[in-house]
Amino acid sequence: MTANTSRREFLQISSGFLATSAIVGQVPFLGYAPNAEAAPVADKIVPTTCELCFWRCGVDAHVKDGKVFKLTGQMDHPLSNGHLCPRGTGGIGLLYDPDRLRTPLIRKTDADGTQKFVEASWEEAIALIAKKYEEMTAANEADKIVFFSHGFGSSFFNRLFAAYGILNHAHPSYAQCRGAREEAFGMTFGHAVGSPEGLDIANSEYLVLIGSHLGENMHNTAVQDFSEAVSRGCKIIAVDPRFSVAASKAERWLPIKASTDLALLRAWIRILIEEELYDHEFVKANCIGLEELRAGVRDATPEATFAITGISVEDILAVGRDLGRYGSKALVHPGRHVSWYGDDTQRSRAIAILNALLGNYRMPGGLIHQTKKFGVGTPYKFTKKEGGHHYKSRFPLASQTPANEVVDETKKGNFKSWFVYGTNLVQTLGHVDDTIEAIKALDFLVVIDVLPMEITGYADVVLPEVTYLERYDDLDDRVYRRPYVALRQPAVPPLKGLNAKPGHEIAKLLAQAWKLDPGLFPPIEEYLDNRLKTVGSSLKQMSQVGVMVKEDPDIYRKPGEQLRFNTPTGKIELSSTRLKAAGFDGVPQYTSHPENPPGYLRLIYGRAPNHTFGRTSNNRFLGELLSENELWINRITALDLGLVDQEYVFLINQEGKKSSSKVRLKLTERIRPDAVYLVHGFGHTDPRLKWAFHRGVSANEMITQLTVDPIMGSTGMKNNFVTFAR
Amino acid sequence: MSRERKYAMIIDTQRCVGCSACVYACKSENNVPEGFCRDWVVSITEGRYPNLTLTNRSERCQHCEDAPCVSNCPTAASHYAGDGTVQIDRDLCTGCKACIAACPYDARYIHPGGFADKCSFCNHRIQAGMTSTACTQVCPTGTLNLVDLNSNDGKAEALLKGRQVKQDKTHAGTKPKLFWLV
Amino acid sequence: MTEIVSNKLNPDVLPHLAIWNWEVPVYLFLGGLAAGLLVISSMSLILRQRSNSKPTVKRAALLAPIALSAGMFFLFLDLAFKLHVWRFYTAFVWTSPMSWGSWMLVVFYPFSILQAAILYKEELRAKFGGLAFLDQAETQLSKIAVVNAHIGVGVGVYTGILLATFYARPLWSNAVLGLLFLLSGLSAAAALMLWMAPQTEKRIYSRLDMYLLSLEGFALTVFVIGGLTGDANRAQAMWSFLTGHYAPWFWSITIVGGLLLPLVLETMETLGKSKFSFFVPLLVLIGSLSLRFILVFAGQSMPTFS
Repeated sequence: MTANTSRREFLQISSGFLATSAIVGQVPFLGYAPNAEAAPVADKIVPTTCELCFWRCGVDAHVKDGKVFKLTGQMDHPLSNGHLCPRGTGGIGLLYDPDRLRTPLIRKTDADGTQKFVEASWEEAIALIAKKYEEMTAANEADKIVFFSHGFGSSFFNRLFAAYGILNHAHPSYAQCRGAREEAFGMTFGHAVGSPEGLDIANSEYLVLIGSHLGENMHNTAVQDFSEAVSRGCKIIAVDPRFSVAASKAERWLPIKASTDLALLRAWIRILIEEELYDHEFVKANCIGLEELRAGVRDATPEATFAITGISVEDILAVGRDLGRYGSKALVHPGRHVSWYGDDTQRSRAIAILNALLGNYRMPGGLIHQTKKFGVGTPYKFTKKEGGHHYKSRFPLASQTPANEVVDETKKGNFKSWFVYGTNLVQTLGHVDDTIEAIKALDFLVVIDVLPMEITGYADVVLPEVTYLERYDDLDDRVYRRPYVALRQPAVPPLKGLNAKPGHEIAKLLAQAWKLDPGLFPPIEEYLDNRLKTVGSSLKQMSQVGVMVKEDPDIYRKPGEQLRFNTPTGKIELSSTRLKAAGFDGVPQYTSHPENPPGYLRLIYGRAPNHTFGRTSNNRFLGELLSENELWINRITALDLGLVDQEYVFLINQEGKKSSSKVRLKLTERIRPDAVYLVHGFGHTDPRLKWAFHRGVSANEMITQLTVDPIMGSTGMKNNFVTFAR
Repeated sequence: MSRERKYAMIIDTQRCVGCSACVYACKSENNVPEGFCRDWVVSITEGRYPNLTLTNRSERCQHCEDAPCVSNCPTAASHYAGDGTVQIDRDLCTGCKACIAACPYDARYIHPGGFADKCSFCNHRIQAGMTSTACTQVCPTGTLNLVDLNSNDGKAEALLKGRQVKQDKTHAGTKPKLFWLV
Repeated sequence: MTEIVSNKLNPDVLPHLAIWNWEVPVYLFLGGLAAGLLVISSMSLILRQRSNSKPTVKRAALLAPIALSAGMFFLFLDLAFKLHVWRFYTAFVWTSPMSWGSWMLVVFYPFSILQAAILYKEELRAKFGGLAFLDQAETQLSKIAVVNAHIGVGVGVYTGILLATFYARPLWSNAVLGLLFLLSGLSAAAALMLWMAPQTEKRIYSRLDMYLLSLEGFALTVFVIGGLTGDANRAQAMWSFLTGHYAPWFWSITIVGGLLLPLVLETMETLGKSKFSFFVPLLVLIGSLSLRFILVFAGQSMPTFS
């Protein structure tokens, strides 16, 4: 099996399975009897945990005749509070997706050299993986294997690989998403912002959104809080090249020139310091480096900032002074996806510093830092394999391995196998050709997924997982302002005719094949039950209630409370000692980024509330209202370029990369003349994704210029520019 | 029988982010067939860059007090339910489409089953004693509120207090019952 | 600038209403034609001695229920739930013109068929024998004709009122529409009778149709003025009707081809300046049919503006 993998071809799996897609209404000649049930009544309601995105709201699955027909928000779950975002309701579109992977697949090469997938039994597939990794381990190459994961279900594989001795672990959620923010806040406050973000938005009186389009970025509780704040009269400042939904709620919309956020943030820091508007008491007691900061932002005058950002001096001053005026009741939102321009850590640092100067730390409306979990115990002892070696990132302050670094090292031959759980790296990392080149250099690629995402087409072994509505996962016991523990349990048994398995069973099969300690994966129900017994509950009880919540803990700091921060100095570091020690600027400095080449517009991207990027774009239920993305382009710019509203065009970026599908133009007043906007996650190129195939255009495909943050490897994806072809 | 109810919906456009959770929730609650919807979201942008306003409005049947769909229905399939809602009796409907032509809000459609269909304010939930519709329940922003205007629970008053209220196409004279807070 | 984005899915509702296809205009045309035939044949029976032996009147009386049945068939085709057609007769909703229309049929059929049967008494008797009650009924023929004339006017007006009560469709929402459709139905019926009439009778129907077309032209003018001078909604709708997507068809087929040209030709015929031709009534019939098509389609495409 190793010989055929050197020249990896992209394979298509024949399909035609579960062809149950609904028939759009053709009214029959005489009409049906009106027995189309108006509102079905559930036989049973199963509380479980959503997986349409990674927020993990509690959902109630309404089941009738063995079919989930409705998903609603759990009333008592602190993340849903009875409500759901559009995607949460759309879980049925995933469960009944006719394109789901149905059986394990193994890549085989015929005598004539053509490659194909053959359907395999679980025994064959597991044996193949087990054997391959045993061989690599025997050859001392366990450190040439990388486990990629995204999502809640990966916990069982974490345990499996720790026990087996595969220690390289990468998440695209790090360098492609929140990593820079978490590192920057860590450098400043000693802890990350976390997910769900530790922010008291609901009680803010002045909220600056810079690089966040909350409301379109539809994390349920965050949007609940945001709407509550808006309704209570919180002043919103939206810094965005696009007139986002959040901007429409804002007191001021600052249509900033893309890539210049850091200049604006520094200007505000300067105003707070120069005009003595910062929280003197808080800063004196808890921060160090004020004078270094003062000196470091001296050049960030409003006038100089206007020249860089295009934001008027008046707006810069007004917002800076308002920040000072609202003080601890103001919040500068740290954003979520921050891998943008290559200076992402410093950009997030500036946000962290602003919040520190406002003194909003653990204050109503500010940053909150809840550390308490619900605290479910684990009455099992899972031993890790002793010794072993794992890859150390070349980025000095990276606490995880950036996914793109793994790509680079794989191309150099330093990694030989990837084991990918639930993340479609081909549509995720930017620079698709680079990712594919790395994949082709691999000896062995294993992919676990629910759908035939692009990456499965490159795999040696594809393992189909059941959806979150058909499986148990581990308990959700995370830090949140109201500590809770929640259960994910099957609402229905795995669909008939699908030879797919839950993640915990797949992990267990591998553990058995490797003859690991059988105690590593006790029967899942017994395991969950025993864990729940440590908090006086049981699986039986939890399967009925779904969630247990602790009373609101005191999340705000008391007057005069002594604070201690987990930084090298034990203080909030306005100038970072760790950055300085590693040779970087202790205080964020602005560096300019490439400008639009003539005739090109900067490509920015974001979310639509109906989708979680590429994960849901094959979801027919969600796709009904948003089946393809549109390219937002300023109306005047488009008219100058001779483009017509609603026409379909190809995109070509500044490096000559042409999109593989066309995208519809949306001519709008809602965007700066020098930028275009796409919802990320469309334009799938795998025809097995029958719904999503070539619908809209892939932003990821257009992102070939990756600007990497030298501090921790955050992979900037917003330095690409596009033009059009008909 | 208790007193007569008069259900209406108060929709706070300030809170709304236009996410369409209401549309999806309605579709699965009410078994609305693929390609159809009982509620929908309209986004209206006005102005020129960079001086813009944007309003998101979740819309549906207005359950008019003087409903032209009811007066134009030749078979009494469309009727007032006595709780302030307008309902359709599928057993009476011939699919003649007069109600669709009559509705100034274009809230109706012909169900593939052959009958006129539209938002019912989730009357099956109301009848089961619930105080929410699928859309008001799911809404993560608290935009949508089902209220009983004949109630003395103070809910409607609290929502309306100090707010500017807008109604759509009042010139059509149908006395609509969706109230938008702007 | 205003950008409006709606995610409403419903077909035949967005971007504008398209719920009624060709069946409904054909039904409205045939209904109007049937009404016209019944009115003209009944009036002949009332006003003119020995009309009951005139072949054109007899045929018109016979065709009235037949044309209506054909129209009803197309209406039936339009129903989305055809098995429920009987539901029209389990209710009477006085605010619904469609309900009025369905119940009017209950009177239309017995009276119009009775009238036709009386006129065709001898032919029927030759075939079936007996039928003594027809002799008795014949003595009341003029009274029956009076009833039929009223029923005919009712049905003719109904086809227009049906649309006119839809306030939500500003082009339709125009009280003159009932009169317009009645006159259009009458002129179509007169044209058909002109076509069927023997040479000796053609002048009568040509002149009748000439008058009716003039009146229809007058009603159409009032319809247009009523729209243009109505509220903003109606004025906008009428203006787009006269200049928009359907305007070329309206002006060429309905106005010039279906009204003005036959009016001129019939005037010449009546004055004896030209020969009678099947071409003239054909133009009138096409004009009458096109009026229904254009008004139904254009009316749907114009919503209530906010």
